[in-house]
Amino acid sequence: MSSRDHSRSTSVCFLLVLAAAITLAACGGGNNTTTTPVTPVANSATAEVNSGPGGNSTNMLFVSVNVCMPGSTTNCQTIDHVQVDTGSYGLRVLSSALGSLDPSTGNSSGLPTIQDSSNNVLQECVQFADSTYAWGPVAVADVSISGEKASSVPFQVISANPLYSVPSSCLQLGNGGSLGSQSALMANGIIGVGVFPDDCGASCTASSSSVPNEYYLCPSGKCSVATVQETNQVANPVVYFPSDNNGVVVTLPDISADGVASASGSITFGIGTQSDNALGSAKVFTVDGYGEFASSYGGVSYPGYLDTGSNGLFFLDGTTAGIADCGQTDVNFTGWYCPGSPVQYTVTNTGANGTTGQAQFSIANTITLFTNGSGGFFAFNDLGGAGGTDASNDIIDLGLPFFYGKSVFVGIMGQTAPSNATNTYGYFAY
Amino acid sequence: MKTTLGIFVTLLLAVAPAWATLGEYESSVSVDRQYLRGEVRQQAMSGYTVHRIAAANGVTVREYVSPKGIVFGVAWTGQFAPNMQQLLGSYFSDLEQAQRATPPRRGRPLVVKTDRLVLVSAGHMRGFHGHAYAPDLLPTNVSAEVVR
Repeated sequence: MSSRDHSRSTSVCFLLVLAAAITLAACGGGNNTTTTPVTPVANSATAEVNSGPGGNSTNMLFVSVNVCMPGSTTNCQTIDHVQVDTGSYGLRVLSSALGSLDPSTGNSSGLPTIQDSSNNVLQECVQFADSTYAWGPVAVADVSISGEKASSVPFQVISANPLYSVPSSCLQLGNGGSLGSQSALMANGIIGVGVFPDDCGASCTASSSSVPNEYYLCPSGKCSVATVQETNQVANPVVYFPSDNNGVVVTLPDISADGVASASGSITFGIGTQSDNALGSAKVFTVDGYGEFASSYGGVSYPGYLDTGSNGLFFLDGTTAGIADCGQTDVNFTGWYCPGSPVQYTVTNTGANGTTGQAQFSIANTITLFTNGSGGFFAFNDLGGAGGTDASNDIIDLGLPFFYGKSVFVGIMGQTAPSNATNTYGYFAY
Repeated sequence: MKTTLGIFVTLLLAVAPAWATLGEYESSVSVDRQYLRGEVRQQAMSGYTVHRIAAANGVTVREYVSPKGIVFGVAWTGQFAPNMQQLLGSYFSDLEQAQRATPPRRGRPLVVKTDRLVLVSAGHMRGFHGHAYAPDLLPTNVSAEVVR
């Protein structure tokens, strides 16, 4: 690699150190009984459910994110249609959306990347539970949304034309396809703002006894799994904010049960840090090491979570839930629910902290919903499908439909929580 | 940043001499145990046996064995997904075929349902859940619902 790359690598390290110092200063105030007031910044951004960049996104919540060369306020790219995902951690952006800032092809105007001492660029392969995967280098940028700025935060570039082929060892769930295009991602990026501060944690560090196939280094084009300290892992950008860094609040309006073309709400940063993000009477459900609470239905407990990145309510299976699967009428809709008339459900959530509370939702006929508004509706509060098969029922995934008509708080593990919440592994509250 | 994984990869290959599991004899469980480098606990149930393998990385795999000694189902929970090629053995090609036939869509569980294989992969980053079983191999009087 050229010497220019080498000096850039060095400057990344410097910038990371600087960011850590700022964070420490901010946290220092929080540990005292009297919190040092921080000048409030605009902490809320518009978040909208719409048809997405390709016109075919259903129940996907989008924000715009500004990505800048570290230290610059002018060498920036605004990325629209970045999906808000409370079920993942860290920013991922399509290389094609980064313009001249795209570092993945070795572009000299591209963003700095995380590199080892031999100038090998750190690569990441993330496979989602649906078996799709994102593959590309880990870059560093100043990421802004509303008035909040995460300085020099590591994020993943999802490569359209990756420099190296995806390592087969990453595809643990088989090859469900690359997310390296707008049509596959149905967005220009994903901003993971869930309960964890980064996308791997201690498991990917050198002290771990068993490292997952997630981060790679590819010297001479041969990719092997790498250990990465947490400061260099792709991070939940919220924890990099100088303040309002302990969680997010997702607020969406109530919508018609028939669906609507679009719905405009907000994502607000911080919990209990400003007048617009108080927990109030919301019930706090702390999560376990998997980021989940217990959710029970019919006297049986299942893993439960609140995930804006799931576009439906993935609730048990048709037999257990007593609801028809669309596959019975149209094989193309297999796995979605198609009841004759909408079905109301109530489940009981129990946090690791023992807090219990109900979650209520309705599931309507998917095929009907998709034909409502002449097929022009993309926001639904009653879209549901199977989270299991007719034989085994194992999750209650309260996806984006659950978020309409309320504010949902997501508290991040390890960050200072308001006095009425605890956060061993983070929490959800609503 | 240091790369110490060269050593790790070598070790892993050394203890994974063969692919095995779903549809294989019970002895394949020990291969999986080695592969996952975990502890095994065995529990006899009515009509079948469960081997519970807790791997070092926090992934728990449960393998369900019929009275004839055949693994008829597997289930997993963990911060990461276990290797399906290892767990599904010869049934992995059924998964691949299903993924090619119906490309998975983002943001919803992966559900495969064929005559030979039923598989669900659900969850989210740092929290994976799933199970798979071979309908033909279910022991008499054992419901597929035990595989979870």
